[in-house]
Amino acid sequence: MRRVRAVAWREFRHTVLTKGFIFGAIVVPAIMILAAPLIPLLMGSETPPIEGRVVVLDRVGGHLEALRIALQPSGDASPKPADPLNAPIERRPRIRFDATVEAAPADADEAALRAQVGRQELTALLVITRPNERPSAELLVSSNASPRHTRFLEVSTEQALVRARVAAAGQDYPRLRALMDDGAVATLRVSPEGMPSPEETELRMLVPLGFMMLLWIAIFTSANYLLTTTIEEKSSRVMEVLLSAVSPMELLLGKLLGQAGVSLVMLLMYGAAGLGGLGALAMLDTVPLSHLLWFLIWFPIAYFMVAAIMAGVGSAVSDLREAQSLVGPAMIALMVPLILWMPIVEYPNGGLAVAFSFIPPASPFVMVLRLTAANEPIPVWQSILALAVASGSVAALVWAGARVFRVGVLMQGKTPTPRELLRWIRTR
Amino acid sequence: MPDDCVIRMQDVHKRFGATHAVCGVTLQVERGSVCGFLGPNGAGKSTSIRMIMSIIVPDQGLVEVLGASALEAKDRIGYLPEERGLYRTMRVAEFLRFMARLKGVASTQTDARIGEWLERLELPGVSRKRCMELSKGMQQKVQFIAAVVHAPDLLILDEPFSGLDPVNTRVLTREIRGLQERGTTILFSTHQMRTAEELCDRVVLIHRGEKLLDETLDSIRQRFDPRTVLAEPTGDRAAATAAIQSLPGVAEARWHDESQALRVRLREGGDPRAAMRAMLDVAPMRRVELRRTTLDEVFVRLVGGDESVLAAQEASGD
Repeated sequence: MRRVRAVAWREFRHTVLTKGFIFGAIVVPAIMILAAPLIPLLMGSETPPIEGRVVVLDRVGGHLEALRIALQPSGDASPKPADPLNAPIERRPRIRFDATVEAAPADADEAALRAQVGRQELTALLVITRPNERPSAELLVSSNASPRHTRFLEVSTEQALVRARVAAAGQDYPRLRALMDDGAVATLRVSPEGMPSPEETELRMLVPLGFMMLLWIAIFTSANYLLTTTIEEKSSRVMEVLLSAVSPMELLLGKLLGQAGVSLVMLLMYGAAGLGGLGALAMLDTVPLSHLLWFLIWFPIAYFMVAAIMAGVGSAVSDLREAQSLVGPAMIALMVPLILWMPIVEYPNGGLAVAFSFIPPASPFVMVLRLTAANEPIPVWQSILALAVASGSVAALVWAGARVFRVGVLMQGKTPTPRELLRWIRTR
Repeated sequence: MPDDCVIRMQDVHKRFGATHAVCGVTLQVERGSVCGFLGPNGAGKSTSIRMIMSIIVPDQGLVEVLGASALEAKDRIGYLPEERGLYRTMRVAEFLRFMARLKGVASTQTDARIGEWLERLELPGVSRKRCMELSKGMQQKVQFIAAVVHAPDLLILDEPFSGLDPVNTRVLTREIRGLQERGTTILFSTHQMRTAEELCDRVVLIHRGEKLLDETLDSIRQRFDPRTVLAEPTGDRAAATAAIQSLPGVAEARWHDESQALRVRLREGGDPRAAMRAMLDVAPMRRVELRRTTLDEVFVRLVGGDESVLAAQEASGD
């Protein structure tokens, strides 16, 4: 065990205490998490105000005032709640509007106005027509118009048209709006014990995804390190030096355990950040203890399954490019939970979810999705069988990985074919 | 296995596909000896060494090291493989500490041993350097330290001098000799016959996977009849050359600048003593001496098996 410990510690230390890991796995995500709340602020403050001239060609008539009010310069609004036209515009980007709104004569040359937009002499041209029963507008902006400016003009125009229509009908827009508000439906899920709990559909989808992504990131980061360090040891010819001191099995075991430590560090780091975030939002109750326990049961199974594949492949090839071709088939299976997470979470006991629960190497990820989706309890026999199949697969994959590793680490030259890999596995 | 036998290979075979890399090699290396493992490229030396190290498994035959499998005796064996390799980004001391730990050196002794070896191998101030910052020769010396830092009973060196300059070759030769004096059994493969002659008690020659020679140096020198005589005439060099050339049993006589003498190559089976007496009779001589057989000559004779190769070797002054 001394040798295994020494290899594992070197593997762990030289992965975790490297600039690449600290920067890629800690600093960058930390910066992203910290910067996330600032992004809307930065984006908002960076968007320049809308300036210039907005010309309205109202072929229907009666919309100019509504548009003027909707587009009125920021800060100049003098809301008159009783007036439907003055109700606050909803769902509009927060941008300063400093342009003038001008009316074009009804017989104005539309083509000439469009040309002015193209030449950027006009900020926008709004042409209001009545192609059928209701008026509609065409908003023309120049090719270099900002998408956020365009969105501001679109939303303002849409709502101005509605308000003008409501005003023309002699109705009270705020009252109508209030009447049209979504109804308040509170969904409660009732447990078998009869305890109701509020339904949070989005969270019920996102929590399983979060668990699976956490598993995925923690495992694939370290498995990738395992692949690259094995290839590096082969290409730098240090492998034979190591094999003079340790057996291939000791080396493989040390590497697997060392990178398991790396994976655990990532899991704890991101997991703690996730739980911390949920705690800050007072949403910790969305992650029951049973989820965490299941997750901790499936984590080592998923890790050893993927790591054994990566170690075997790393030992068989001489560079990363060659590794891609061998890892490909396994990656396809491992992509299944990423592709199918939504139907699996939606129907954790559906045929698709149940089938993939027994197909390694996707099974640990699928089971984590199912167990944390928990709309309804997973049959116990499925959990037990999935664990048994996955554990057996881990044993088989580690055994096959070790056989390939034992032969592959000393091989240089061309990438082995799948048939050669099978021969290596059978080699005494 | 006798107590004084450190390595024992018995009828060992290894095949790689259609290639029979090692064919029935039998070998015994005695405790405390220095055994040279010689052979041309692709002869099967590295494969044999890897089997001794239990890095690869023989298809047939028995390999015992220190009374067991090398896997069980790894901590007592030091190994410098032919393929040199270091962790490029690791610092030298850190790499050596790692290797020492793998080999079971107590952590309290590790740094002292590393410091001592770095000094011995004339590598001052490299312990904090990253391995990739070292020259090739320095890297090789660091690897040598990794092979000996745990004071092994058996040291296996695969081409330890390849790529080393003469100064570093001398340093390494000195340390290998020192290890032997301290009782370490050493098996090393090399192409440098002079170094092998200088260090080895015994030589094993392998060619195309088969053992061609396994003897002490003295025995080799006796067995491989010397066929070159150095004769330094006192008088007319041309006349002496012609006279010697006409002697029966002489294949060729040619002036050799480096030894300042005629190099007289005898025919196969010729009696050197009779030839030397005849040379003294046909021309006045300052000296006539039998040239010692070199390992190079033995090597070429056994492996090359070609007179012209041997002649070319002799003419080059080796």
